[in-house]
Amino acid sequence: MIVGSQKSIDELWEMTKDFKKVLVFGCNTCVAICHAGGEKEAETIATLLRMRAAQEGKAMEVDFTSVMRHCEPEYFEPVLEDLKKYDLILSTACGVGVNFLSDRTGNIPVYPGINTSFYGAVEAPGVFVELCAGCGNCILHLTGGICPIARCSKTLMNGPCGGTNKGKCEISKDVDCAWYLIVERMKKLGTLEKLAEVQPPRNWSTSRDGGPRRVSLEHIRAFEEQEAGKSDPAGGKK
Amino acid sequence: MSGASTIEKKGSHRERAAALKETRPYSPCRAACPVNTDVQAYVGFIAQGRYNEAFEVIHSVNPIASVCSMICHHPCERACRRCGVDEPLAVRPLKRFALEQSTEYRRNKRHLIEKTKGKSVAVIGSGPSGLTSANDLADLGYQVTIYERHPVLGGMLAAAIPPYRLPREALKEDIDDVVSKGIEVRTGVEIGKDISLDEITSKHDAVLIAIGLSLSRSLNIPGVEGPGVLLAIPFLEDVAFDRKPDLGKKVLVIGGGNVAMDVARSARRLGVKEVEMVCLEGADEMPAWKWEVEEAVEEGITISHRWGPKAVRREDGRVKGLEVVKVLSVFDAERRFSPTFDNANTKLIEADTIIITIGQMSNISFLKDSKVKVDERGRVQWDPKTQMSSAPGVFVSGEVVTGPGSAIAAAASGHRSAMAIHLYLQGEQIEGSLPTYEKEKIADMPATVAEKIAREPRMKILHLEPEKRCNTFEAFEYGYDEEAALKEAGRCRGCGGGAVVDKNKCMACLTCQRICPYGAPVVTAWSEIRPEYCQACGLCAPECPGGAISMVSYDVREFRETLPAIVGSVDPNRKEPVIVAFLCTHHLGTAGFNLPDHVRKVPVHCTSRIDTNDLLKAFECGADGVAVVRCPGSSCKYKGIENRVAARVGQAKKLIGMLGMEAGRIELLTTDAESGSPYTAVCAGFADRIKQLGLRSK
Amino acid sequence: MKSGSNLEKVILSGQPAVTAELGPPMSADPHEVIKKANQLKGFCDAANITDCQTAVVRISSIAAAALALREGLEPVMQMTCRDRNRIAIQADLLGAAALGLKNCLCLAGDHQVFSSAGRLKGHPGAKNVYDVDTCQLVGILKKMRDEGLQEGGDKLEVAPKFFIGASWTPMGDPIDFRPMNLMKKVNAGADFIQTQGIYDIELFRAQMEKIRNMGLHERTAILGGIIVPRSAMMLKYMDSSVAGVTVPKPLIDRLNKAKEAAGDDKKKARELQEAEGLKITIELIHQVLETPGVKGVHIQAIEWESAIEGIVKAAGLYPRPTFTD
Ligand SMILES: Cc1cc2nc3c(=O)[nH]c(=O)nc-3n(C[C@H](O)[C@H](O)[C@H](O)COP(=O)(O)OP(=O)(O)OC[C@H]3O[C@@H](n4cnc5c(N)ncnc54)[C@H](O)[C@@H]3O)c2cc1C
Ligand code: SF4
Ligand code: SF4
Ligand code: SF4
Repeated sequence: MIVGSQKSIDELWEMTKDFKKVLVFGCNTCVAICHAGGEKEAETIATLLRMRAAQEGKAMEVDFTSVMRHCEPEYFEPVLEDLKKYDLILSTACGVGVNFLSDRTGNIPVYPGINTSFYGAVEAPGVFVELCAGCGNCILHLTGGICPIARCSKTLMNGPCGGTNKGKCEISKDVDCAWYLIVERMKKLGTLEKLAEVQPPRNWSTSRDGGPRRVSLEHIRAFEEQEAGKSDPAGGKK
Repeated sequence: MSGASTIEKKGSHRERAAALKETRPYSPCRAACPVNTDVQAYVGFIAQGRYNEAFEVIHSVNPIASVCSMICHHPCERACRRCGVDEPLAVRPLKRFALEQSTEYRRNKRHLIEKTKGKSVAVIGSGPSGLTSANDLADLGYQVTIYERHPVLGGMLAAAIPPYRLPREALKEDIDDVVSKGIEVRTGVEIGKDISLDEITSKHDAVLIAIGLSLSRSLNIPGVEGPGVLLAIPFLEDVAFDRKPDLGKKVLVIGGGNVAMDVARSARRLGVKEVEMVCLEGADEMPAWKWEVEEAVEEGITISHRWGPKAVRREDGRVKGLEVVKVLSVFDAERRFSPTFDNANTKLIEADTIIITIGQMSNISFLKDSKVKVDERGRVQWDPKTQMSSAPGVFVSGEVVTGPGSAIAAAASGHRSAMAIHLYLQGEQIEGSLPTYEKEKIADMPATVAEKIAREPRMKILHLEPEKRCNTFEAFEYGYDEEAALKEAGRCRGCGGGAVVDKNKCMACLTCQRICPYGAPVVTAWSEIRPEYCQACGLCAPECPGGAISMVSYDVREFRETLPAIVGSVDPNRKEPVIVAFLCTHHLGTAGFNLPDHVRKVPVHCTSRIDTNDLLKAFECGADGVAVVRCPGSSCKYKGIENRVAARVGQAKKLIGMLGMEAGRIELLTTDAESGSPYTAVCAGFADRIKQLGLRSK
Repeated sequence: MKSGSNLEKVILSGQPAVTAELGPPMSADPHEVIKKANQLKGFCDAANITDCQTAVVRISSIAAAALALREGLEPVMQMTCRDRNRIAIQADLLGAAALGLKNCLCLAGDHQVFSSAGRLKGHPGAKNVYDVDTCQLVGILKKMRDEGLQEGGDKLEVAPKFFIGASWTPMGDPIDFRPMNLMKKVNAGADFIQTQGIYDIELFRAQMEKIRNMGLHERTAILGGIIVPRSAMMLKYMDSSVAGVTVPKPLIDRLNKAKEAAGDDKKKARELQEAEGLKITIELIHQVLETPGVKGVHIQAIEWESAIEGIVKAAGLYPRPTFTD
């Protein structure tokens, strides 16, 4: 899932202070699970902003609400008209949600209420770890299921570098060295010899470096378009 | 609407939750109650010191609430899930407490109800069943006339149940409620004698026969005719209407049921030193409630078990005693009543007066020649699906048709009949539209949960000492004082009042499953909170990131909604800091809240219900400091909530820090639960510390 | 010959090679480089010019290497993967070759978080690149040199001829993987290897035995890393905090003793420790060179380039061989 984390109230205040009527709009999927932007946190942010406004002597109305997801229109469309009653929507969805909503609220701005951090797992309640970078070309089969792109601070494909220290990465004692984990894991799997091969430079064009990515599924689109009357049932376009 | 979710909410939480609650299995106490009184809800209100709201919960289904608070046989208590832990909750005494606390409120509420329906209903008989029907019909806007042969209303409650158990003031409260709605009362009018049924049916659009069982059965044994042998109901009526019968030195009561107990104990109170009871059953088979037997024995009444009456022996016409024969068995193999006797084994029990208490029947002689048919066994013919007799527009309710039972069961029958009459008069179908009180209840408490519940003995109910109470018809039971009531209310596990998930908001994050101390939630596609596990602590609700959990018994956002009113306006020139104190009510309810005005008190069922957002809200409303005061961990009603509460307080400290406020403005404090005013010292200390920090300007 | 660099010649000659290190300054002033180059000239076969070591912004390795070359010191330019993608890297390599540079050491590069260690603000918020990693970089250099092709496959009219080096941490975690790690670099095309500083000679020898068994010492020239110890504190820090470095206690004790011998005299304490440190250095050089499979030493006198002359002489490695083409 997508993991988010809270922004400081100072930053949120700087963003919102010139608006009169603000809606903190929670997203009840990924960012709720990581306690960053679900309805509960939306309420917290709304309260903090009202308190800040009072401290600053500014009249500001701040409400909150939430929907299941900001990244699919069916979820927020039913409340779209309500959203438009505000001067600003502070979306606590991930950046995807903020972007997506921004295109659809007419002249009402949508600002980010949280930071979108990474794709992560819940290692323990309240602990979220980045495990994938969404590079678009998965090589986990080569690395014992441990991603060097997301988890090695240098995205090395032929690691480890010389910085591994007692199994930790050179950047911090609190960060595991991904390549240490890979080697140990592959030892356990009995596939260490796979690492002997030098991995050639990667093609990063499947990653962000290839520009914004899009996946469009023929079979789903065909159905949708057929439903919308854009193509005939046999599949040929009208 | 500022500060709220834009999703509008209508009405109070209780109103909103009521619908939700209906979709869920009932708590066993509620399911066991013949009118499904929401015990968990009113006990919860009592625990928070919200007695008037407790009254509303009770009274919404039970017009004879005060009566029940004194004499109900309380099936709720036998069903209570605490039975599996230690002892059942003292539901009836708590009801009494709530009613006593809300008397003024209740009286002030009484008012005439407009008769909007333009139709009139006659109710014959003013026992619990007739009263309940009259009450409901008046509420619906009908003109109601009660016909009662006795000089007062109340049926057996007024005419038979002795006042030492049911003080007439209690009964009067219930009756006044009903009568104040604008009901015509015709006491001292016996149908069939003073007015004919035909006259009644012609005068009213519908008639309800709720005449109960007003005749006592007698025995067909030699010597029974003549002075010195009395029947229970006439005897009890004498007692009730203060016509002191002459009983001699020794009274023998035949029978082993509850009525027999009332008879014997009334005889004791009439000054008879020697009262003996004789019954067919052994001590463990007696139909009377165990507690009634114990109380009778305390009062010096003796009981001869397993003897059957054979003949009344007289000397010069005066009763000498009762000849009894040994009982071999009372029930047959199918547990049907079918006594067998050892005719060789007889004896004489001496007595001056013998009172026969072996059952009641109804007096339906006035139905002769009417359209209301009577069956071959002398009972009114009726259809339980419509509550109607064989005559259209003539309805029945209560014991006249159901046979002997409890007052509250008669009231339940009254509710059904009122609805039936209403539907009939509105020309609507009755069958299938009457209220039923058979409801699915939540399963037994799993052993894994029961283990985690602290043993807390039931609060004792005190009685007037036996020597004293034998001399008076005054009530012999003391009600709980506030401290005892609050402690007892705190024992309730809130079954069925716990967490429910709004599936539209749940994203299956597992938070609730992870934190529930009782393992209630099971998250698959969404969270399903198993009511038999849930203890309604509320720990999960504030933690749910989607705001998907509400508690049936309280609104998760209730604090936030009420805080502005609780804090009120904050004087900019104040000398004392405004403290918002969230106070655990578990041990003392609101009774220990002897705190100065500047401490704004927020009673909480358990601190586990407090959300970080509640703490922020308190500051938003202008608090200088916010205290969360919990009971010591050892006496906490729930297991394992401390760390969670501490974490929320910690989070709130961090958040107010972002606004430049000192972390010290929020504290998690522990009270001394055993002290009489446990919050005074902790709150004063906290207020001092806040004063040091200074008052907030904005 | 692959590159014709002095270093390559020394190694081919079979004599123990000596490389040193030159750290460029955090300023646009060339004199610092010129000064250090002159201190090192004649006492090593080539000197590594670090590439923004610890991610601190300094004169670039290529520019400083060109300055050193002007002074007559053969440089080993360093190239990290941290700051450039494959386009910039290859462009820089072409430029470096055009400037006459012949040695290149491929490195992952220290993470940018190190730049803010100590007194410096650095650029911990910088975005690192790591388009390619060390092995891949080695491969790119080899492909350019031997096949005359860019990484993407386009032809190079004139190929850059580099003597290709890579770093190796023989005693780093996971230690049993380190030989394979070296093998990958060698397979990718590393002509020479400079190792992380060695203090624990026993452990190093054990690793070298594995390397010999794999035959890697025949396929690449391994130069053992020597970091000149200056104080007990420095050794303790290296032992506890520097990845892949363990310092045997007796060595730390020797410097401690030297320090204690000076009593409260701070200046003297420094002098005594430095003297002892130099002694240790000489011993280590000998022990490393005695290790079978080792082809030379890489001596790092960090911010103490002036010490190299004395060390090389004392180790009996002076004069350095010279070649006439
Ligand atoms: C001694 C005794 C003790 C009891 N103790 C308890 C107890 O502790 N707890 C408990 O829950 N229940 C108790 N009960 C049972 C309870 O009182 C009855 O279940 C309940 O009163 C039945 O209500 P009802 O409305 O059907 O009839 P009733 O209460 O019997 O009322 C019927 C009314 O109709 C009137 N009536 C009858 N015929 C006519 C007529 N022809 N014209 C006009 N009026 C007429 C009668 O006078 C009477 O007032 C007790 C009953 C008795 C007798
Ligand atoms: S514990 Fe409370 S809610 Fe549960 S059965 Fe007993 S009285 Fe009812
Ligand atoms: S905490 Fe809330 S959102 Fe999460 S599983 Fe439970 S009910 Fe669902
Ligand atoms: S945490 Fe408490 S309220 Fe929530 S499900 Fe568990 S027992 Fe019920």
